[in-house]
Amino acid sequence: MVYDVSDGLTRFTKDFLAFNMDSIEEGAERLIRSGLDTKELLSAAQKCIEDVGRKFENGEYYLPELVVSGEIFIKVSNVIKRHTNPANETKKIGTIVLGTPQGDIHCLGKDIFGVLAEANGFLVHNMGVDVPPSKFVEKLEETGASVLGLSALLTTTYDPIREIVLQLESKGLRQKTFIIVGGAATTKGMVNKLGINAQTWDAYEGLRIIQSLIRDTEDAS
Amino acid sequence: MSIQEKRLYEKDTMSAEERLEKVIRLECPDRVPAALFIYYYAPFHVGIRTGDFMKNHDVYFNAIKQVYKDIGPWDIFYNGDSFSKIMYSFAAMMQALWPGIDLPGDVMGQTKEVQYMDFDDYEWIMKSGRFFNDLRFRARMMPRFCNEVKGYGLLRLMPTFLMEISRMVRLWRKDFKWFKEQGAAILMGSVAEMPFDTFSQARNIIQFSMDILKHQETVRNASVRLSKNFADTMVAVSRLLGVPRVQLFCHRTSNSFISPRQFESIAYPSLEMTVNRIIDCGMTPALHCDGDWLKNLKTLRRLPAKKVIIEFDGFTDMFRAKQEIGDRMCIYGDVPAEMLALGSPGEVEEYCHRLIEEVGAGGGFILASGCEVPYNAKPENLRAVVQSAVKYGYYV
Repeated sequence: MVYDVSDGLTRFTKDFLAFNMDSIEEGAERLIRSGLDTKELLSAAQKCIEDVGRKFENGEYYLPELVVSGEIFIKVSNVIKRHTNPANETKKIGTIVLGTPQGDIHCLGKDIFGVLAEANGFLVHNMGVDVPPSKFVEKLEETGASVLGLSALLTTTYDPIREIVLQLESKGLRQKTFIIVGGAATTKGMVNKLGINAQTWDAYEGLRIIQSLIRDTEDAS
Repeated sequence: MSIQEKRLYEKDTMSAEERLEKVIRLECPDRVPAALFIYYYAPFHVGIRTGDFMKNHDVYFNAIKQVYKDIGPWDIFYNGDSFSKIMYSFAAMMQALWPGIDLPGDVMGQTKEVQYMDFDDYEWIMKSGRFFNDLRFRARMMPRFCNEVKGYGLLRLMPTFLMEISRMVRLWRKDFKWFKEQGAAILMGSVAEMPFDTFSQARNIIQFSMDILKHQETVRNASVRLSKNFADTMVAVSRLLGVPRVQLFCHRTSNSFISPRQFESIAYPSLEMTVNRIIDCGMTPALHCDGDWLKNLKTLRRLPAKKVIIEFDGFTDMFRAKQEIGDRMCIYGDVPAEMLALGSPGEVEEYCHRLIEEVGAGGGFILASGCEVPYNAKPENLRAVVQSAVKYGYYV
């Protein structure tokens, strides 16, 4: 029986939205081997993530759906990477340096946000957990990223966040770095107290804030 | 005047224990009671190494007493000392990283999420019989994530547990005696993670999310299966300690993780069974509700009225919670960690005043820190919490 790419893509979308994690990689591989352009597959996966995101923002979906769709997206991305020449990769819409500051080893919220940002076209440098302030600053200098995303589940991160702000100021990078924090130990009230730009408890809200920042920057230039 | 009748402040007409029991029954006491969870804060307040504080009970308790003398007195002692990694792991069912053992000796302890439970373990729970099944489940899991008992079989683990529990009972009784002598009430005699929440941590968030989406019945049935023995163990330990209250950790049952529908269908059945069993045994369950619980409160209204404490940590809107469930449960909380660390005493006092006026209206409220007091809280902010209860909290 001849494999129909269009049917295969419909099945892929259905599996993605039904959270059928086990069958997704095989479906993605088969689609590419059958001639589907990797960009089309990426676009289909991005539409699925957007659909989950809309339902999350509407309060229809919660963390389990977000986590599983993120994992599925990672699996699809890995398949796409295996079949893509790095020179032909889609242009990224922005660069984010992401991590959990020194004194905290929690990674869940940060990793979910990282996957969502990648799915929405950002280049994400996820630096992991317990990251010293100087490492964040070095990475921002190295990559030229305009966004720094910091995750904080513990108040142990407050001093390292202050230190990051100070180091960025001393290097003249503070004005061109948008700092957004998220996690259980953060509140809107700490934005001014720590000299950062934004705070969120919601990965999608964080993404919207950064997308709007990128749009504003593009409009200005 | 006996210890039980001791008054903390001049205007008080009740002891702290009477005040606490009144608010649990949603009655109006003489004033709003206050509580602070100072376990993680105390070593930084007195300037000692966290590694020494967490491993040596005398060092721990001297620091706790010092904080109580410097900041207090307040009404309710939130006893959070685990004093051994084994007991901490047994209660929290997460891999603990301890200062002085796994981390430098002067930093805060942390927990690390590692997957140690397989999907087949749900089936083991269903097939293994009900006899002490929650204890046996914990004993089966602990050697997989707790280095101190790695490789231990049940026969070696059980005597270790029993020794640790009897040591805990002996030390906690001593601690409680001191606090009672000061006129304080003790929050709970036992504390542990609920079965549903234990699974969430044990499976790790990715696998557990799949379980929630694809194997709802399996998770629900396994949680329910462990509930009775879980509740019985908690009640037994609390009885040994002479405290008629039990604290239940529900770290992963909030709407910050699962939907109200998932809560009602998967998590609530075991929570209800546990709570009812504890109440039937004549004790008060305190639900430790980290995260945002607002949309779950409608379901929680089914639990017996005037028998449960519900503790919030700064994520649940306390003022709406008062409207949603204030006529059914005693609300506890929720001065946020961020405010205690970065805010000013004026800011803290203003927030506490509002909590007292609105959430405390008519009784049924305990003014407290949202979950734990952070290590970097300002002492003057903690005093502002305690003093707010005295300044604004009297009902007559």
